[in-house]
Amino acid sequence: MSVLAFRPPGRGTAACFPLLAAGIVACTAREAPLADRLQDDLGHIVALEPPARRIVSLSPSTTELLFAIGAGSSVVGRTRWCDFPPEALAVPSVGDGLGPNLELVLSRTPDLVIFYASAANQAAIARLDDLGIASASVRLDRLDDVPLAARMLGRLTGTGPRADSLAAQFAERLDSARAARRGGVGSRSLDRVRGVAVVAWDNPPMVIGAGSFLTELVELAGARNVFDDVALASAQTGIEAIAARDPDVLLILGDGLPAFAQRPEWQTVGAVRRRDLVAVQGSEFERPTFRSFEAVLTLREALRRSEARARGRAQ
Amino acid sequence: MKWVVLGASAALALLTAVAVGPAGFAVDPVTLAIIRDLRVPRALLAFLVGGSLAVTGSALQALVRNPLADPYLLGLSGGAGLGVVAAIALHLGGPWILPASAFLGALAAIVVVYRLGVVTGAVLDTRVLLFSGVVVGAFAAAMMGAIMALSPAAELRNAFVWLLGGFGSASWQSVSVFAAYAALPVTLIYLAARSLDLLTLGEEPAQYLGAEVERTKRLVYGAASLLTAAAVAVSGTIGFVGLVVPHAIRLVWGHLHRTLLPAAFLLGGTLLVFADALARTVFAPVELPVGVVTALAGVPVFVLLVRRWSR
Repeated sequence: MSVLAFRPPGRGTAACFPLLAAGIVACTAREAPLADRLQDDLGHIVALEPPARRIVSLSPSTTELLFAIGAGSSVVGRTRWCDFPPEALAVPSVGDGLGPNLELVLSRTPDLVIFYASAANQAAIARLDDLGIASASVRLDRLDDVPLAARMLGRLTGTGPRADSLAAQFAERLDSARAARRGGVGSRSLDRVRGVAVVAWDNPPMVIGAGSFLTELVELAGARNVFDDVALASAQTGIEAIAARDPDVLLILGDGLPAFAQRPEWQTVGAVRRRDLVAVQGSEFERPTFRSFEAVLTLREALRRSEARARGRAQ
Repeated sequence: MKWVVLGASAALALLTAVAVGPAGFAVDPVTLAIIRDLRVPRALLAFLVGGSLAVTGSALQALVRNPLADPYLLGLSGGAGLGVVAAIALHLGGPWILPASAFLGALAAIVVVYRLGVVTGAVLDTRVLLFSGVVVGAFAAAMMGAIMALSPAAELRNAFVWLLGGFGSASWQSVSVFAAYAALPVTLIYLAARSLDLLTLGEEPAQYLGAEVERTKRLVYGAASLLTAAAVAVSGTIGFVGLVVPHAIRLVWGHLHRTLLPAAFLLGGTLLVFADALARTVFAPVELPVGVVTALAGVPVFVLLVRRWSR
């Protein structure tokens, strides 16, 4: 019997990892031992004899990962937000993923329900436990979560080798991209690190903070999020706070130039005044995924174009 | 003396609000532009909205003779919220779309509530008005819930943040539009001060004492709701000010609307300017919703007032 935990010590739930592991050993000793026991990102044991055959995936990021690791054919239910890959759209939707409609979930007769790891899902998870249906909660907030989640899903779906190799590739690429950034290789073309404010909404102004993978994307693209001291994933702020941070570029998620860029009060932000605005769009900017490096490339290219424009103006 | 204290606090609040902010205070072109284009209009807008909400609350509490009346009671916040949520769900674009849709939603609620209020004949029944407001508000909230559940627009979450209220989008444009607009309803309510005094005694006694009850009710209701609709359009729904400031002023100044209304305007404005200054500086660069601060700072002050003055 072995206890598989997918989080290295020192992060999140892993801080209490030795304690958890001890507890698991104590309780599993009394139960019939399974070949492998899986612990999910909320510390629950996944009561499933892999591989899962009928999976309801209740978050767009896990749906995307399941398809990526070759377990797409086992996905029998998804949320209405699951839009990638396109084949996922053929799977019946069960509505929302946070606080799901359990009747719709059960109507898909799943043997495994995959949740986004959130307190909002505790009641639904407990209900499934009562009904004897296995569930696994997966945290996918940061780029480091992608390989961990892929490995866990690989083990649950019997696609371990493929999942492990994709995960290893991703982790390696992430490591080398970070090392390159630290060494300045990745940002050689940028004569200095440009400050970016990621504006998620304009009224009230909301910016992306360090808690979001978008900050990681910005960093891997060779720039810096000027709000990386804000620990939250996103936070309400004011135009003045953005003006005071004086980002070189405003990054906007969406298509084209936003209407707020025309408003007089926004002209206090230098980047808005100079029209140094970069808009990116696509589901790869909505969640951490294997496609995150495509997002980084798109972002780097967009930032490079905007910097070239800025240089052109300066001359 | 009381007026001096109130006036001085208002001045202090405005000066503080202009002096502090994430960009600090310095005499250089960039900071001066920030102060001129962001802080000054923001402080002025907070002052005008706070004052308007307090005046509206005072007038409505007298009108419906209910101490729990506040500017949003009459279905206004629901109507405005529905307007905003519908605009976002329909992907309507443009810089003025949130304020405009909030204003239109609030206007629609006002019309429906008013129609229901006079349904019993030519008389505007304030009890029916109150009830209609609550019912229309509940209906609008239900519609918002339905749109939230059925619409795929991920931005809807932001509609609720917007509705929580704040002055993040203040500009000279919004200040001047609001000031020009608010002048008329505030004046109308002030001119009805004497009738409001009589109305607090009850509609029949007010009638005997010479108040034009029907006219006053319609005028005050119309002015108060149009004023609140504009306040919602520029700043979302900010609770507490319109509910509690009138009570605080009554404790200290008494019940005569001729003094109550201007004092409430000053105190409401002062409170909201201070609250907004705190909201944007304490956790900078993160801002708190200003309604959270008005309640956090206002409740202790109100408790002190109650202990000091109520006998």
